[in-house]
Amino acid sequence: MEIDETALSGLIEESQDTHADALRSAKGPLADMVDLGQQTRAGSALDPDENRAFAVENRRRLGSIARRAGGLLAATGVIAAIADYIGSPAFAASGTDVQVLQTASSIEVLAVSTYKTALGLPYIGGSSANPVIKAFATTTMGQHADHLAAFQSATTSLGGTKQTKPDPAFVPVADKAVAAITKAPASQGALLVVALALELENIAAETYVNNMSLLTNASAKKLTASIMGVEAQHVAILLAVQALLKAGDAADITLPPPVAKLPAAAGAVGFPNAFYPTTNAAPASQGAL
Amino acid sequence: MSANDPLSHLSEAQLLAMTADLDAMHHDVALPALTDSLAEWTDDIRSQGDGGRDADADRQLQFDRRRFLTRAAGTAGGIAGVALLAACSSSSSSSTSAASSSSASSASASASATAATGAPAGTAMGEGQMLSGDLQVVAMAASLENSGIATYMAGIKAATAGKLGTVPPAVVTFAETAMAQHQDHQKAWNAVLTAAGKQPVTATDPVIQPTINAALAKVTNTTQLAELALLVENTAGQTYQNGLSVITSAAGIKTAASIQPVEFQHAAILYYVLGKYPVPNAFTGVSLARPPSDYHT
Repeated sequence: MEIDETALSGLIEESQDTHADALRSAKGPLADMVDLGQQTRAGSALDPDENRAFAVENRRRLGSIARRAGGLLAATGVIAAIADYIGSPAFAASGTDVQVLQTASSIEVLAVSTYKTALGLPYIGGSSANPVIKAFATTTMGQHADHLAAFQSATTSLGGTKQTKPDPAFVPVADKAVAAITKAPASQGALLVVALALELENIAAETYVNNMSLLTNASAKKLTASIMGVEAQHVAILLAVQALLKAGDAADITLPPPVAKLPAAAGAVGFPNAFYPTTNAAPASQGAL
Repeated sequence: MSANDPLSHLSEAQLLAMTADLDAMHHDVALPALTDSLAEWTDDIRSQGDGGRDADADRQLQFDRRRFLTRAAGTAGGIAGVALLAACSSSSSSSTSAASSSSASSASASASATAATGAPAGTAMGEGQMLSGDLQVVAMAASLENSGIATYMAGIKAATAGKLGTVPPAVVTFAETAMAQHQDHQKAWNAVLTAAGKQPVTATDPVIQPTINAALAKVTNTTQLAELALLVENTAGQTYQNGLSVITSAAGIKTAASIQPVEFQHAAILYYVLGKYPVPNAFTGVSLARPPSDYHT
């Protein structure tokens, strides 16, 4: 493995300096939200049109999930019942934006815990780990923790209760994957970890892309827009790492990579879509309290 | 490296198959969804008239062009040079002139830009339409995509001509794929304009293009080209991120939101190839965002 760990540490530090600048820029939208949240709590009523639009969007999203699950839920009428519930006044009492932000928080909670679990594995966060993968997992976990804090702060700014639990729909999927990872040998485990991380990162990115047209609060939109591209970047790097691992070329996971050695197709593996899809986006209220 | 290179287990065929699968998924899922969004957005714009936006949106976009250019020059570093700042920080019209004057450079983007966008040299369309509201954002986005296309096209042309030394095959694929995606983005933006009865924008961004052209003229290797491409990708991603706060139509927001992450993915791979940490920020900013208000001409 050819890697200068000192140089890598320097890059991470440099990245953290830049990150601190970016954190400062995220404070603007959050400060705006505090003002808006105070106005909201001061007595503005929920917009019934907004609530109906939210219910329609969730019905569409739930229908999509049901179709992917084989249509069983749709056939039993569960989707219609859930969608009706989402559109009900009781459910909407917390406000559309708050629900969207709570769901985003629940995804971030799961992402943080997943990376934390992965870093407990010797071949991801231990002495036998590839330094680049270890640095990526560590930094990415920190970035998700920042996203979580930002979404939670935004939630409370709008008068909601911050979500601290993982998205209930994805927990069983993650648990099952983690169980398989812990039983797998290191050679297969790394690939399984990357596959799980990819799934979670894609869910996060697609959910936030989808949320952009659901959010009504300008600051919540700005915040979400500043995060979705970062999740997409995680996806890009994970796709590149996955390709190298699948080819048995873990030694080529270096920073910088040995570009001259790589086959032509490796140049495009990290960004398969010209337009980011939303088919795997979580329903906007899935992680709401 | 060929697919048969014994030094690597990475099979070109395997990777091509993976890419083909992902590409098929993209066409099965992402494009139809985008088509729906574009159709919906067009209806929104028609129903709202030309602008489709209130005056607040303009106030949200009081970005200082000098600030952008300062950062752009800093990012481009030794490639663009500080001298560019003086050349580009004047009015749009003088910037456009600078673009023309620098187009004689060996790796100039100008000719490639028009080739990329299908318009003959000197007849780039789309300016002078006096657009406002969402359509102004769309026009700026289309022009920015044209600049992105031009950058990659000029880079590929220079590489093909042997002006960048040995260019790894993966870098060529990156440039070709990223350029193709920018072409898809440009078509999407222009589809909104033409559906609204406006001309498509085939001109490059009038402010950033002189910077790109001057930088391209000095590029002698793939590292310098990657640095320039990184600036273009970050500018595009940040511009669309900013646009998400300005666009009023929900369908328009869907369209911009589906493109912004892709530009940042291009940037991540470029950071990686350059040996920089690939995801440097937990939050992407808008300091490089191009203001739609620059697209008045």
